[in-house]
Amino acid sequence: MAEPRATLLLVEDEPEIRQFLRASLSSEGYRIVESASGRRGSIDAATHKPDLAIVDLGLPDMDGVAVIRQIRTWSPMPVIVLSARVHERGKIEAFEAGADDYVTKPFGIGELVARIRVALRHSVRVRSGEQLVVLDDACIDLERRRAHRHGVEVHLTPIEFRLVATLAKHMGLVVAHRQLLREVWGPTHEDDTHYLRIYMKQLREKLEVDPAKPRHFLTELGVGYRLEPKE
Amino acid sequence: MVGRGVWKGYAWAAAVAAACTVAGLGMRPRFDLVNVAMVYMLGVVVVALRHDRGAAIVTATLCVAAFDYLFVPPSGTFTVDDVQYLLTFAIMVVVALVISRLVESARRQARVQAELAIEAETERIRSALLASISHDLRTPLAVVVGASSSLAEAGERLGPDERRALARSVYEQSRDVAERVAKILQMTRLEAGGLKVDRDWSAPSDIVNAALARLRERMASHRLIVDVPDDLPLIRVDAALIEQALGNLLENAAKHTPAGTVVMLKVHRQGGELQFSVEDYGGGLAPTEVEQVFEKFYRAKAEGGAGGVGLGLAICRAIVGLHGGRAWAERLSGGATAFRFVLPVDEAPRMPDEAPAAPDG
Repeated sequence: MAEPRATLLLVEDEPEIRQFLRASLSSEGYRIVESASGRRGSIDAATHKPDLAIVDLGLPDMDGVAVIRQIRTWSPMPVIVLSARVHERGKIEAFEAGADDYVTKPFGIGELVARIRVALRHSVRVRSGEQLVVLDDACIDLERRRAHRHGVEVHLTPIEFRLVATLAKHMGLVVAHRQLLREVWGPTHEDDTHYLRIYMKQLREKLEVDPAKPRHFLTELGVGYRLEPKE
Repeated sequence: MVGRGVWKGYAWAAAVAAACTVAGLGMRPRFDLVNVAMVYMLGVVVVALRHDRGAAIVTATLCVAAFDYLFVPPSGTFTVDDVQYLLTFAIMVVVALVISRLVESARRQARVQAELAIEAETERIRSALLASISHDLRTPLAVVVGASSSLAEAGERLGPDERRALARSVYEQSRDVAERVAKILQMTRLEAGGLKVDRDWSAPSDIVNAALARLRERMASHRLIVDVPDDLPLIRVDAALIEQALGNLLENAAKHTPAGTVVMLKVHRQGGELQFSVEDYGGGLAPTEVEQVFEKFYRAKAEGGAGGVGLGLAICRAIVGLHGGRAWAERLSGGATAFRFVLPVDEAPRMPDEAPAAPDG
């Protein structure tokens, strides 16, 4: 594996789930720090300085969302949330608190590992200040504010650019509706989800190979959007 | 609601008293006062039977007053010459009270009986649920327990292929259990009214894509044709719930039709509604099944264990109902079946025009 050995913090109260995650994630080459409670997790995050945190939303002592908020006060490390179907609301709160991605219990290990890889790659990308978004047959230069498709310039409106830029800041990860609306249209438009629907449709028409089956501008139903880079 | 009922009662009181008075005036030249009093009594009885006690007493009072003023000598005054009419008045009021009491207790009894019936129905559903849970979960759990115990106890004596096969069946069966449990929980929440509907403007194509992505593996056995026009209006729904409702229709089609057959997913606008349809060209539905399929725990009779808990379509209907829509099944020609639901389309929200985009350079 080309990636350096990354350290993952696992905040999860169920010992069985910790056990299976420890076994499978260690075999993938990650170093695991385990915390059995939210309070412990907040402390371990600060002392072990992991590369990524995996936080269960259903912790008994304190809300997983609170753990994420705590981490976000001092660290931009990627946070992946483990949620159950019944925590639909909690999931949205987690994204507003700064979570980057989620898997829903029960999940297969392949799904979680894929998310971890994307999130770790993302933090490398952010550090390197990548400004070029490469899609299947389109390419967007965020710095020069130019978009091309098959080498031909595509006109994007200022809002469309801002939308791509905001999504690209979290390449491969989920950006919540409210965060997108706040960053692109401003705090007074946090609830105008229909703006996103309309603009996302425009972006797909301009930049996707098949706008009806988007491969890059992906909808996370009820949560937000995800910009998937070219494989 | 209650307020309106009360006023309706009083309106009836006034109307009946007036009607009795008109009848009384018509009778007067030929009939005794006693008979006129009987007409008023009839009016009181009618109101007491149909409305509450307050309305009955008001009727009695109005009737007494009218009877006294218009008929009891000296007429044109409220003075009463003959003491026996006081008795007539008293009887009228007592009759009003007695009858409304009887009616009220009868109503209460009916209500209690209705509650008991609901309780019995709930109990029936609960036991059906338990029976269904134990039946549907026992088989996959038996596989999970068996396969995983083999792995745990004799793992090193098994070849790698056998080990992988056992692990695979633990994975598949437990995922199946998880799905069934999720359906049962969902139905329970829907029935208990504990499900919060988070409405938001959503694109129908996003909902379709999410359902297709989630069920990709499940639908791989069928030839799926998707027809979703790109000019559909936004709908104000809980997208995650509608995705589930649509997904349940797709799962239902995949489950009940032979592999390799066509499943068609169509969405189109029809007047003020958006219609989602899943059509299959498999088993076909008996005419009697068209209504039954959407009932809880209903399962196709000719089913060889392929079924789930029998809740998918019931959940679909409940979710669609929460959104003010309808779900139903239709028999099409050639043994095809359509499962459809419609959702109301609200007026599209306004979107401010973007300031003319400066051609960047």
